[in-house]
Amino acid sequence: MSQAAVVRQRTDPAIGRATVAGMGAADPAWLRARRDEAWAIYQATPMPSTRSEEWRYTDLARKLQLDDLVVADGHTGPAAGALLPGPLRRTMEQDGDSAGRIVDVDGKVVSVELDESLARQGVVLTSLREAARQGDDNIRRLLATAAVPATDGKFPALNAALWSDGVFLRVPSGVTIERPVRLSRWVSRSGSATFTRILIVAEASSRLSFVEETLSPDFDRTTLVNTAVEVFSRGGAQVQYVSLQRLGRGGFYLANQRTLAERDSTLDTLNVALGGSVGRVDLNARLLGPGANSDMLGLYFGDADQHFDFNTSQDHVSPHAHSDLLYKGALDGSARGVFRGIIRVHEGAQGTDAYQTNRNLILSDDAIATSLPNLEIGADDVRCSHGATVGQLDAEALFYLMSRGLTRGRAERLVVLGFLGEVLSRLPLGGVVEKVTNAIVAKLRNV
Amino acid sequence: MDNAPILNVAALRARVADEDLDILKGVDLAIKPGEIHAIMGPNGSGKSTLAKVIAGHPAYEPTGGLVNFDGEDLLEMEPDERAQAGVFMAFQYPVEIPGVSIANFLRTALQARLEDGEELDLFDFQELLMDRMELLEMDPSFAQRSVNDGFSGGEKKRNEILQMAILNPSLAVMDETDSGLDIDALKIVANGVNTLKKENPDISVLLITHYQRILNHVTPDVVHVMVDGRIVESGGPEVALALEARGYEEYRNAHAA
Ligand SMILES: Nc1ncnc2c1ncn2[C@@H]1O[C@H](COP(=O)(O)OP(=O)(O)OP(=O)(O)O)[C@@H](O)[C@H]1O
Ligand SMILES: [Mg+2]
Repeated sequence: MSQAAVVRQRTDPAIGRATVAGMGAADPAWLRARRDEAWAIYQATPMPSTRSEEWRYTDLARKLQLDDLVVADGHTGPAAGALLPGPLRRTMEQDGDSAGRIVDVDGKVVSVELDESLARQGVVLTSLREAARQGDDNIRRLLATAAVPATDGKFPALNAALWSDGVFLRVPSGVTIERPVRLSRWVSRSGSATFTRILIVAEASSRLSFVEETLSPDFDRTTLVNTAVEVFSRGGAQVQYVSLQRLGRGGFYLANQRTLAERDSTLDTLNVALGGSVGRVDLNARLLGPGANSDMLGLYFGDADQHFDFNTSQDHVSPHAHSDLLYKGALDGSARGVFRGIIRVHEGAQGTDAYQTNRNLILSDDAIATSLPNLEIGADDVRCSHGATVGQLDAEALFYLMSRGLTRGRAERLVVLGFLGEVLSRLPLGGVVEKVTNAIVAKLRNV
Repeated sequence: MDNAPILNVAALRARVADEDLDILKGVDLAIKPGEIHAIMGPNGSGKSTLAKVIAGHPAYEPTGGLVNFDGEDLLEMEPDERAQAGVFMAFQYPVEIPGVSIANFLRTALQARLEDGEELDLFDFQELLMDRMELLEMDPSFAQRSVNDGFSGGEKKRNEILQMAILNPSLAVMDETDSGLDIDALKIVANGVNTLKKENPDISVLLITHYQRILNHVTPDVVHVMVDGRIVESGGPEVALALEARGYEEYRNAHAA
């Protein structure tokens, strides 16, 4: 799909005070106030620079010119009932069964479907903007407060000021959603900036899985997609959150995710980065009650000049919680992968089990992987480990496969798929494994 | 059998790539279709090096002589081309490939043999896989495990024979497949080889071993003794029996003299 260059006109919404006001025009007062406050924080917060540890390897000053971007204000999306773009439709067809679907085009929710029996049980799946305007009390309490507040940093502040729409999913106590709820997001405008949010609340002993997929054509100008993801799992709930980043080249994906796992709940995440030119994910998992558990999985495959940067933290606030992180990446061309992770065992969090592993496979001379695992331990009775590896394709493995008749190309493909596949096998959600595997194979064909 | 050898190794010399000293110092070996040859020899004498040079391991560099397979110059071929031509090596130390299931691996290997555009029949494949696993008394769930990943020594060896039984080569080089097998497993593996032999009488086997015991089950036509990069004696099964009794001392002495 070719894209006409969109250069911001004077009338196009820019990142600025006026756009914040415009975005909030139809919002209730509390939300307008929250946007204004966030904007003030944004303005007072310096742009992260490579002088800070957390942004050392992703140079925003060089990679992102915020002033050039046209803010997707939710007014430019297709009309209700309009045909969805082909690539979006095709990827949706590849999804397995779903309990609910929500489609977001250029920062606006254009359709919502939810299994009727779930709706009858009180499950809410809706446009975040609609729900906020209707005054849902959960949103008022939880949106940009307890999970990803504006005070978290420059981009959380910008998102809280400028978000145009997003998803609200709430599953009442004891309700189980067997099949995944899926969000399919499409960004069409080159040079645009989309600010979107996800708020998921799994009440006590409920179960859900949520898969978010972001797609776009290739862009001739830097195009920003900024997400703020807030996930709450109350006592005994089981939640899986998956993000598939499959933007076209030129895409700049910037995600702020925080998960809050209460007593005896499970809150697992999977971040897959395959597309875009730059991807930066900040993920903070908070373990807030005994028996809480978070498996944190990540998979990235970069080629050409793709740049993926993951900044993760595992906060063991409560004693006797468990977290296990595994991020694996393959890097080809002159791609760069950065993983920076920290396990923080808070004071008194005895009986913590926390693990962190990052493994990288380098497929070319020019690809670079940087891995910075870290531990900060404030209790004595803990089991923690962290490890990082950066390696090349195992020549013995390739010979072994070739000695069975596989060409070098096929042997390499199999080894890379096997390497990355370990991540998928730990969170085998319907539709996700096949889709990601196919996307990796397609990328490997170009190698 | 007076037909031409399927494998003809003549005056073969080889070294580790970029090193000075040859490990193989002039190996001569001819195997005719359907023959079973055993190679015995002390540790470090070059048996695995010979096997890997035949299979095309990139770490080794032939420095002289020739290896002919079915009339083709094997040394000019890539490892996958050799496999396609019918060469199979069961590794002394099978390699672990995390995340790649045995079933997926073998399916890919069989698919690789087909012409472009031809698709492997998955039903036939499944049937073949199950049949061969039964022959080797392997649990079907094994097919879903990652290749050699976390396998016991014996499981790895059995997995090598499974691959051989599926790929059905015309020359099988088995490098110490009997090492690390318990008595029952040894019989199962030997029975597997004999069954393949029965199904395909033309299959040739080069069996590298330290022990007489496998030769009680798989009867060799010829037994070679390899010492210091050369084959120093060839004969019938009695050669293996003599070795069992006397060891390699006399060969070493003779060679040093
Ligand atoms: N890749 C290698 N790098 C360095 N030396 C090697 C390499 N491969 C083989 N050698 C050396 O070559 C010699 C022959 O090794 P090889 O593995 O062929 O012996 P072998 O007869 O198979 O021994 P074993 O009975 O112990 O399996 C040994 O001295 C070994 O150390
Ligand atoms: Mg050996």
